[in-house]
This record gives sequence, structure tokens and C-alpha cells, in this order.
Amino acid sequence: MPTVGIEPRLPIRASNRGPAEPPRLFDGYSPHPSAWDELFTRDVAPHPHCDALVDRLGGLHLTEFQAKRANADLAFVNQGITFSVYSDQRGVEKIFPFDLIPRTIPAGEWNVLEAGLIQRVQALNLFLHDVYHDQRILKEGLIPTELVLGSKGYRKEMIGFTPPGGVYVHICGTDLIRDTNGQFLVLEDNGRTPSGVSYVLENRAVMKRVFPQLFHDIRVKRVEDYPRRLREALASVAPFGADAPPCVVVLSPGQYNSAYFEHSFLARHMGVELVFGPDLFVDNDVVYLKTTRGPQRVDVIYRRLDDDFLDPEAFRPDSLLGVPGLFRAYRAGNVTLANAVGTGVCDDKAVYPYTEDMVRFYLSEEPLLRNVPTHICDRREDCEFTLANLDKLVVKAVNESGGYGMLMGPFSTAAVRAEFAEKVRGNPRNYVAQPVVTLSTCPTWTDEGVAPRHVDLRPYIITGCDTWVLPGGLTRTALVKGSLVVNSSQGGGSKDTWVLE
Amino acid sequence: MISRVAEHCFWLARYLERAENTARILEVNHTLLLDFHVPVEHQWKPLLIISGVHDYPHEPTAENVQQHLTWEADNPVSIASSLWWARENARIIREVISGEMWERMNFYHLWMQTGGGRLAYDTNRTDFYAQVRRINQLLHGIADATMSHGEAWEFFKLGTYLERASQTARTMDVKYHTLLPKLEDVGSPIDNAHWVAILMSCSGYEPFHKKPRLMPIDPGAAVAEFLIYDEQFPRSIRRCLWECESATASAAGNAAGRTPTEAERKITELIAYLDARGIADVIREGLHETLTHVVDSVHAIGHSIHTTFFNPPTRMTQTQTMGGMTQSQG
Repeated sequence: MPTVGIEPRLPIRASNRGPAEPPRLFDGYSPHPSAWDELFTRDVAPHPHCDALVDRLGGLHLTEFQAKRANADLAFVNQGITFSVYSDQRGVEKIFPFDLIPRTIPAGEWNVLEAGLIQRVQALNLFLHDVYHDQRILKEGLIPTELVLGSKGYRKEMIGFTPPGGVYVHICGTDLIRDTNGQFLVLEDNGRTPSGVSYVLENRAVMKRVFPQLFHDIRVKRVEDYPRRLREALASVAPFGADAPPCVVVLSPGQYNSAYFEHSFLARHMGVELVFGPDLFVDNDVVYLKTTRGPQRVDVIYRRLDDDFLDPEAFRPDSLLGVPGLFRAYRAGNVTLANAVGTGVCDDKAVYPYTEDMVRFYLSEEPLLRNVPTHICDRREDCEFTLANLDKLVVKAVNESGGYGMLMGPFSTAAVRAEFAEKVRGNPRNYVAQPVVTLSTCPTWTDEGVAPRHVDLRPYIITGCDTWVLPGGLTRTALVKGSLVVNSSQGGGSKDTWVLE
Repeated sequence: MISRVAEHCFWLARYLERAENTARILEVNHTLLLDFHVPVEHQWKPLLIISGVHDYPHEPTAENVQQHLTWEADNPVSIASSLWWARENARIIREVISGEMWERMNFYHLWMQTGGGRLAYDTNRTDFYAQVRRINQLLHGIADATMSHGEAWEFFKLGTYLERASQTARTMDVKYHTLLPKLEDVGSPIDNAHWVAILMSCSGYEPFHKKPRLMPIDPGAAVAEFLIYDEQFPRSIRRCLWECESATASAAGNAAGRTPTEAERKITELIAYLDARGIADVIREGLHETLTHVVDSVHAIGHSIHTTFFNPPTRMTQTQTMGGMTQSQG
């Protein structure tokens, strides 16, 4: 049981109802003892902006809610909205568990987040241009030169080259969390090929199908503009001299990729072709698509393929997924790649702690979004602190994603910590450490009824001629009680995210 | 359109058509021949042969053959395999086909994979085959009503009719492999029942009888003529080839005065081969030989379609310099 400093809380009680009344959705909901709850205040009353939602959803009997859940699951299965898990030759397709209780963000709070995200992405784009050109930020000593130039994501092949429009990160997925005071913090930036946006749109479509009345009663910002916005942004950074409209394609590693559904989804909704590496070829530094009526010139490639696999001539020679000569065509200015090559340097978790400084340095503004305080093990004193406090910290490998290569100190055993300490000592540059942040929770359907589960938020930020933020984003939720890991590869689910008007 | 996507459209249609056809022959064999006391090996083994299964290791009993042609995952022409690959092709190009098509395709995929289909198979075999038949019919209806009739559609049609031409030829060839007990059985009730079964396997029973004609002296020859030459019946070999010819021309752009593609030439050649003969010539030369020629030619046509549309040359000029990559490191 919680001890000092935490006010006792009463579970929601079924009020004024006869004994025969079947239970309703939020009956008996008991929030997490210390986490910020996305729907309820500390006295288990709805946050003011959640009043209408809690009222409508809370009116449902459990049996009604169950029927709606079954309906939603069936919609996902029948539409094949799945990701692949490879346990046998044919691959197993699973649905991404979806929770029907939405997570809400009030308009005022969203406006600040939106401004903060735009500011951050602008700073990241300026940073990338800088480190591949004048390297002012390194010369002025704000970030250690070795840290940037030695980063796995840094591509020296990009030095001196400016992508069309000067944009590097066209699509950014920035992971946000909310601490126990309800303050949003940036956990990391995904500037390579962030995924998950198709679930945002599909989740919304299923919610509208299952709860049409809710959308009548409550004004929620639309998410359906995303594909159109993305297509416009991609077209706006076509190379000089491209046809109008330019030929935009989505490049996928292929149908066995776990995110294939999303690649196909985006192509379908943008109305552009979905291509695989072998569908493209490069001739005289121009990229062409193989069609039934001969080659067709390609201007913009939204690639969902890592730098390493893009072009066997320039990067990994064993890549069968890429297009030989693509990078040559890119450097010749004949094709736009989104995102640009070499953006991985700002995904580096050891570079991340400097993003607030980047905002101040390039934009002369105070950052609107704060980072989680981070210890960079590459610094001696930080490394010693980390090793001495392994049981209290989250330690992360700098180039991993999806919840891999991570130590959750407070939930680990001494043996695991000892093993991890060896890894950190062996390659300190590869690790950073952060205090454990108790992520906010949201009421979520579980085997024990509605219970609090931890959530994060990944907004998607699109940059072409200007920058636009998809209202809301992907709310990922841990489905295991107490777990702070929300990644889908680790068994997490997702929720619809409502930005209220 | 993208060559690879065209190829998936083509194969999506072929696999769907194949599943339907396999269901048809199993359904007919299952129900119609119950009335006739044909030895088992004469009743079921020919179905394996026309499906291209030549090394079936077990006794070709009714249950074994049906199991093999319906469920066997290792048999590339079984209904389960065909529907699996149809759905896999659909999944790869789900941004090209209509959402409604995909949803139905996926629905029946799940039906086959998660027990619904198996239950129907175990409880009511005839219903099961009828349901499988309807999958293709339903998807064709949805495609027709919800997909743009553009290039993807032409490849879908091309796949359908090319597969169907081959399937009609194979189904007729069953007659060659089903030995009659005695020579004097030609023209007997058993012989006629076989021809009726073949007509029904091609869904041609009613159209055949509705066609005004004199009482045929040789019912077998009349059926064969109908299934090879009829101009209106959508499963006759000639009609299927005509459809292939027009779909290929549309896919190639249909410009007046252009040189026909290799695929079109091959199709025209096969039509000319059939047109140069009448049914009497075909029977004199041997029905089986003609059908074999059709099946082999369809195979060659498929190959030409591949080289014409799916695997085009990838060089704009001959001057491309390989490996001469220079990167300025600025």
C-alpha cells in the first residue's frame, strides 16, 4: 500500500442505483496510486474536459461495452489491420490490441504541445543541415564533436549536400510522456522512419463505427487529413524541374515487413504507388519505375527502408531491398528521399539530451517542450553515477528502438544489473540513463475490468514547405499491470487519441 | 502500372479461378457420379491427373482425393493453397484493389484458416464446394462494381480467362483418363453421364441444352464442340481466348497501328490453330492431343505475358556506367 504523501482515494461508487442494476463501465475504477490519470482527477472525478466522455461511456453496462469490443476486434480482423509475427514459415498476423476507452487532450494543452513540436522539428532540421555543412554547433562547443560525428546515424556521404527544400526530417514521430504532475516531457525523437500513424487513422475509423453518437456529442479534432497533408508535403519538396504534379511513391521493404500494412495503407490513402526496391531502377542518375508500358520517372520517394538498405552501391552491399544507384541519383538532385539520408544522428539517444540547447542555439527561443533529464554515459561522472544507481534508473542503448536493449533498474534483478553494468563499462558511448518516470495512466479494459494502464503519446509532425502536426497521435498503452513498456513489439496496445476542440 | 503490381493482379485472378474450378470438379464428381457404379479408381484418379498431380502416393479413394485437392497445403493446386495465394497476392496489392474486395477476400481466407470452412466441409460437402465456388463469383462481382476498369482490371480479366481456358481444357481431358469399362460402353449411359459431368463441371449444362441444335448423332462430340468452340459460352476455350486477346490489347495500350506484343501474337496463334480445325478434325486427330496442345500453349502464353509486361527491360540507354560512382565529399 502507498504510504506517506499520497491521499487515499475512493473507488467510484455506483450511486443511487437499485441492487438489480448491472454494473457500468467505470464502476469501481481505482486510479493508480501515484501516476497522473488521463481521465480522472485525484478525487476520482473526471477532469473537466473529460466530463462529457466519462458521462457517455460511463453510462454503458459492461455487457454493452463487451459487445462493442467484440465488434471492434472483428472489424480489425476482417480488414486485416495486422502486423506480422514470424514464428513459422507463413508468418502469423496479429491485430494490434486496441482499447476502446479514448485518451483525451484539452485544446489549450494541445496548442502548447503543437507549438513545442513544431519548434523542436525546426531545430532538428537546422541541426542536421548544420552538422552536414558548417558544423557551427560543434565549433562553438555546445555538443561534443565526437558525439555527433561518431554517431552511428551520421552519414559522411551527406556532407556538403542539401536535400531539396533543405528539409531532412519530413516525417517525425516524437514520443511524449506525462509525469506524475501531468507535465508532458519528450522521451525521444524518431527522425528516421517512424511508424504507427496508420493505427491512428484506423483506430479513429473503428471508434466512429462503434460509437457514432460519441462523435456527435463531443467535438474531436479530425485526424483524417494526414494522408493528404503528407502527400502535399512530399510533393512540395520535389526536385527542381520535376513534372507537375510530381511522381511520388512509397518504397516498402516488401510484404513480409511487419509494418507492410501501414506502407500499403499510406500509399492507398495518398493515392500514390506502393513500390518495392526491385520495381525501381536508376539510369543516368535518374530513378525510374518499371511499368507495363515502359519506365516512368520518379521524383519523390517516401522510403520506409533504413539508410543501410537503400542502395547497395552506397551502403550495405548485401541489401536486396534497395535500389542500386539510388544514392547517386539523390546526390545528383534528381530525386527526393523522405526522410533524408543521415537523419539517424538526431535519433541517437546520446544526442537527444542536447535538443533543448539546439532550440536555443538555432532559433534563439526557449524550448516549449522539456526533455527527461538524461545522463550520458560517455561523460565520466555521468557514467559513474549511472553505474552506482542502476537499480533506480532506466538505462538505454542509444541506437535501439522498440523497447530493445533497455534496463528497467527498479524492476530488474541484481544479476541482470551486473550483466548490464559490464556492457555499459565496455562501451559507455552506447548508453544513456534516465530516472524512471511513472508514466501517466488511462482507464483501460483488462481481464479485471477497467483498470489504470500506463500510456505514452507519439504525435506525427510533417514538414514540407511548412510544418504541420497531426492532432493527437498514437497513444500506446502497456497492457500488463504496472508495466511502463508500451511498445507493440513488447505486447503493448493502442487507443484513440482525442484532441478536443 | 507497376509491372509487379500487374503480375499480382493477374495471379490473384488465376488463383481465384483455380479454386473455383477445383471446387466445381469435386462437387460434380461428388454428387453426380454417385448414381453410376464406376470403379473408384476410375472416378477419382482422373481428377488428380488433370490437376497435374502425377505422383499421389496414396490410394485414390473419394476421401483421399478430396482431402488432397481441398486442404493439402503442400499441393500447390489445392483449394486451400489457391485461396491462400490469392489472398497473399491481394494483400500485397491491397492499395490497388478496392477495399471491399480486400475485406471479402480476407473474410474467406479467415473462413478457410480458422475452422469455418473445415466445419462446412465435414458437415455438408456439397454446400462447402458451392461456397468455395461463390467466393470467386462474389469477388468478381465486387471487382466489377467497385474497381476502376483500368489497367489493373484488364490484368485481373486476363488472369481469369487464361486460367479458365486452361481449366476447361483440363476438365474435358478427364474423359481421356476415365477409361470406360468396355469398348461397347461408348454412347452408353455411363459414357453420357461422363459427358454430362464434364458439362456440369464447366457450368455448361444449361447453356448447352438451351442452344438450338439438331439432335446430335454423337453427344460426346457435341459437348466437346460446345466447350471448345462456342462463341457465347463464357467458359468455352475459344471465348476465353478472345477475352484474353482483348484484355492483352487493352493492357498494351490499344493504340491503332501498333505492333502486337509477343503475348498477343501467341494468343492469336492459338485461336488460329483452333479455327483452322472443326470438331470433326479435332476428334480425328485425337481430343486429348488437341487439349494437350491448348494446355501447353496457355503455358507459353503465360510465359510471354511475363516477359512482355511483368519483367520489362530496365535500361533507358546503353550508356549507363556501372560502378563508376564518384561522391564529392565536400
